[in-house]
This record gives sequence, structure tokens and C-alpha cells, in this order.
Amino acid sequence: MNWFVWRQHRKQFLVFGILLAVFAALLIPTGNHYWHLYQQALVNCAQHPAVYSCSDLSDTLFTAPSDGLIRIGEVLGTFGLPLLVGLFIGSPLLAKEYEEGTNKLAWTQSVSRRKWLTTKLAWALGFALLYGIAVTLLATWWSRTINTVALNRFVQGHFETQGLMPVAYSVFFTAVGFMMSAWFRKTLLALAITFGVFVLCMASFANWVRPHYMTPVTVTAPMGPNDLEGKIPTNGAWVLSRNIVDKNGKAIGDIFPSAPSQCQQIIQQAEVPGSHGHAFKAAPSPNGGDPIDDCLNKAGFHQIAKYQPAYRYWDFQRIEAGIYLGATAVAVAATYLLVLKRDA
Amino acid sequence: MGETAIQTNGLGKRYGSFWALENCNVSVPEGSVSALVGPNGAGKSTLLKLLVGLSSASTGEGEVLGKTPAQHEDFLSEIGYLAQEIPLYKTLNAADHIKMGKHLNKRFDEAFIRKRLTELDIPLDRAVGKLSGGQRAQVALALALAKKPKLLLLDEPVAALDPLARHDFLSSLAQAVADGGLTVVMSSHLLADLERVSDHVIVLAAGKTQLCDDIETVLKEHTLLVGPRTESKKLPEGVSVIHETSTAKQSTLLVRVDKGMKLPGTWQPHEPNIEEIILAYMGQAKEGGAR
Repeated sequence: MNWFVWRQHRKQFLVFGILLAVFAALLIPTGNHYWHLYQQALVNCAQHPAVYSCSDLSDTLFTAPSDGLIRIGEVLGTFGLPLLVGLFIGSPLLAKEYEEGTNKLAWTQSVSRRKWLTTKLAWALGFALLYGIAVTLLATWWSRTINTVALNRFVQGHFETQGLMPVAYSVFFTAVGFMMSAWFRKTLLALAITFGVFVLCMASFANWVRPHYMTPVTVTAPMGPNDLEGKIPTNGAWVLSRNIVDKNGKAIGDIFPSAPSQCQQIIQQAEVPGSHGHAFKAAPSPNGGDPIDDCLNKAGFHQIAKYQPAYRYWDFQRIEAGIYLGATAVAVAATYLLVLKRDA
Repeated sequence: MGETAIQTNGLGKRYGSFWALENCNVSVPEGSVSALVGPNGAGKSTLLKLLVGLSSASTGEGEVLGKTPAQHEDFLSEIGYLAQEIPLYKTLNAADHIKMGKHLNKRFDEAFIRKRLTELDIPLDRAVGKLSGGQRAQVALALALAKKPKLLLLDEPVAALDPLARHDFLSSLAQAVADGGLTVVMSSHLLADLERVSDHVIVLAAGKTQLCDDIETVLKEHTLLVGPRTESKKLPEGVSVIHETSTAKQSTLLVRVDKGMKLPGTWQPHEPNIEEIILAYMGQAKEGGAR
């Protein structure tokens, strides 16, 4: 059975080998290049602190016109290769057999349908696993420069392209491809639906699911220019929200209508005639602060921010990869049911 | 013969509310070559799929070589099956298919299939998608035979073949049967072809078994009667009319006559051929469905 799966699908496996080589050919030289630039920039800023700032290296790196393109290539490749494995290993391995009726040939040899499916799944998922590992090793290694200067690794485009995620995607989308193939028995339809699942996952996880894996850390500060920022760690935390809230804790979009009347008066006095928004020109309050902030603070207004600290990154990776691997198990179970219980 | 290769009891298959096969009772003796005939949609493919375990029955049961059809290698290893569309892996060549057979079957006669395909001048190194329909059918048949099955189920294997390829295919089949130890059930609606190779007949129509017996017995039990039309309602008990065609004055009846019955002298008996009998049963089922 193993020989046969290999003989049937060796071309697909070979094509993916080539794709991986192309991906490596893009990432290895550019990854080295950026790491080298970063090292150089570190030396420069240490030698010329007046000219270069060591705390804000991202402005001095990635400035060549090609940098954006290379970064896009890296992201697309890291997203795309696991998806492609799902599409072109997951779907055709099963759906094509149904489409061409060869499942009836295979299922009437002296091999049980269960063993036949298990062997196919093992090859596909095993291949997807190895592939995901290769992709993530390359991409994670490549991202070390960006991780060091851009810090936040939770957001879309960073989280999905590193660590456990490319592996989880590879395996998951392959299992989805199998399940859809067993369900619909049409290669193109299975491809399209697998792609749909991918789009859905990418659109939903980063914004709606991922922020809730762990209770975010909440920090509050009185009204004022810099108090809140000082309390949010700058070393790669994922800031989920920054808000001004009233004394009941309700988030406020526009301050003026919700402010008490005495504060509204101060705001109105402070507004420069003819201009919109706040141009604060009121006299300083006795304690030296902004009179509007003082008034709002007295009325119970304050600032609030929620963030996921940087040290939770690997917890988040484990949780999200766990979700996908759990879903993989469900898809595999569904595939078995669909293949074994339904008629040929 | 004696032993039964296939025995079904009220076997039925339903898709939604449609019965593809209903209350099917067939019995196929070991060593026979059965013709499974019936119009399109009669349930022939459904029956064969149920027998090889590719489908599961909605009602009733079937016993094939003493076992219940299952997706299990012990069951599958004794059965050769050829699906209607003669599926093969188009991009693989015959040699790959032989290797597949070797890898997927414990018992597989590689020498036999190589010899056979060489005799038939079928190139082993060309993708089977590029072979002719007749050659593909021969490859598929050879694959099924190389399993050394006790039972071979063929679903309209010659339907898509030209007359010469059909002849060659049936010759190959006849040769395999002559080698012994093989029971064959072959479906088709080409009655003449089946008559040449089979000694047992199963007529399915409208999802039901109309007839299942030895061809010899069937021929013995049936008579074609020609007589005045007015007499057609006056036949004695033990003579059942399968099919009737009438002109203004005269009726032609195909009847099944119980053993030892004497026919009234008003009727002139003729010996029907198997094709006429089969057509009569298929016609009866059609009228029955229309009523």
C-alpha cells in the first residue's frame, strides 16, 4: 500500500519539494542580509548615538524599495505553502479517486478500505507535518530581525508565519482537504471549500478569537497626556484596546457630549474660535496640569488599556496550534466516517 | 455444481425514497456463469455493488461465498470485481497496475497477468489512459483474474466496446472460465453476448428479480403459444402468462408451464429462445410498473 501511494502521488510530492526549494532560495539570502543590516545598525547607533537611535532601529532598517516586496514574499510563502499542501495534497489524494471511479478498483483489491484510507492519510498528514516544520524553521529563522525590531509577534502576518502555526496549518488544511473530498467527492469543489475554510480562519482568528485566549492585563491611568503609555510595556506587548471611560467604566468615543457641564464649559472656553476639536489654550491649573484633564479626573473619567504581555507569546502559539490540531482530529474522524460508512 | 456462490434474501437498496433494488432473491450456483440482465436502471449495478461490499444493503441480506459482503481483505481477496466504467489509474501504465495488484493482494499471479497481456499485445509501458477501450477492458479483466478469485463480478464490461473488442473480451472470459474454479456474474443488456458465455440467467427489472434460474431449466419451463385471441383467458391453472402480444384474431403468449401440465389443443406450442423469454420478463415488469 505504501509503495502504491508513493507511485500514485510522487509527482505531487516532487512539485512540493521544488516549491520548498524556491522558498528557501528566497528566504536564506534575504534573511542573512537583514540580520547583517541589523548588526551593522547596532554598531552604528552605538558609535554615533547622535545620528542613529538604537531604540528605534526599524526606521533605519527595511528602507530599500525591495524590502517590502521581500517581506510580502516571505509572508505569502509562509501562509501559502501550508495552504497549498492542504489544497494539492489533501484534496486530490481522495477526491480524484472518487471522480475517476478508481476507488472502486482500489476497494476491491484485498486491502480493507480502512487500511487504504489510513495509509493515504498517514502519507498526506506526515508529508504536511514535515512540510510545515520545514516552512516554519525557514520563516521563523528569517523573522528574527523583524522580531527584534518590530517586537509585537501577536498580530496578523507575524503570529501565523512563525513558531507552531505553519505546522498546525499544514496539517489542518490537509485534513480539511481530505474531509471535503470524502464529503463532496469532487476535486475542484473540495479545493474551493478548503480555500474558503482558509479564508474564514485567517479572517476570524487574529481579530476575534486570538485576543481572548487569556484574560488581558488591564492598566488604568488618570486623564493626561502620557500617563497610560508609560504603563504599557514596550517590549512586544499586544495592545488590544486603549479607551477613555467615564466613572461607570463605560467607554467614551467623544468626550464633549459625555462630560459634565462644568467640564464642557472649560472645554468650550479652551477652544479656539473657528477651529474644530480641542486646541487646549486654557490657563494651567494650580497644580500645573491641564484644567480640562483635572476637571474630567474629578468627574471620574480615566484612561484604560488592555494588552497581552509579550511573555505570553508561546502560550498563545500553543493554544492556537492546539485549536487547529483539535480541529484536525475532528476532520480526520469525519473523513473516516464518510469514507467507511458511505457507499462507493 | 451443488454449492451456492451467491444467495440473497430480500436484498434491497434504497436511495432516499427511491428503491434501486427491492426484495431481490437470487441464487447463483458455484461454477456457473450467470447473465445478469435487465433494462437500464433495473438495479444490476446496485446488486453487484452490494455483493462486493462497495455498498451496504438497506434491507435483507446477501451471502457471497459463505460470507457477508464486507470491506475486509478476507472477503475481498476471493472476489474479482470490474466496475461499469472500467476504472484504472489513467496516468499509470499496465506494469504499474501489475505492481499495484502485487502490493494490494496477498494472492496475485504476476506471471499469469504478464503472460496474458503479452499474448494480447498490450504494451506494459504505456499509460493506460492512452490504450484503446478494448485494451483497457482487457487490462482490467486480467487484473481481476490475477487475484485468482473464486467469484468474478462484471458490471457491463463490454458495453463500451466495439464488436471485435467485445468478442476478444468474451473469449478471454470464456478461457478463464474453462480454466475452472470460477463463478461469474456478468451484467449486460446485450443479450446475444450473454447467451454465448452463460449457463444461468438472472433477470432484474423495475428493481426486482423477475427470473433466476439455469438457462436449460428456463428453456424447458417456457413455451410460446399461438392461438385464437378469444381463448387467451381460458388457460388452465399451472400455466402462467408472462407476456402476450395480440393481433385482431390471434394471440401469441409466452407462458411458464408447471411440470407435467398438458396444454389445451387449441394452442399451438413453439420453443422460444432465451432472448425471447428474457424480453418477455422485462416487458412484463414494464407493464406491471405502468399499471
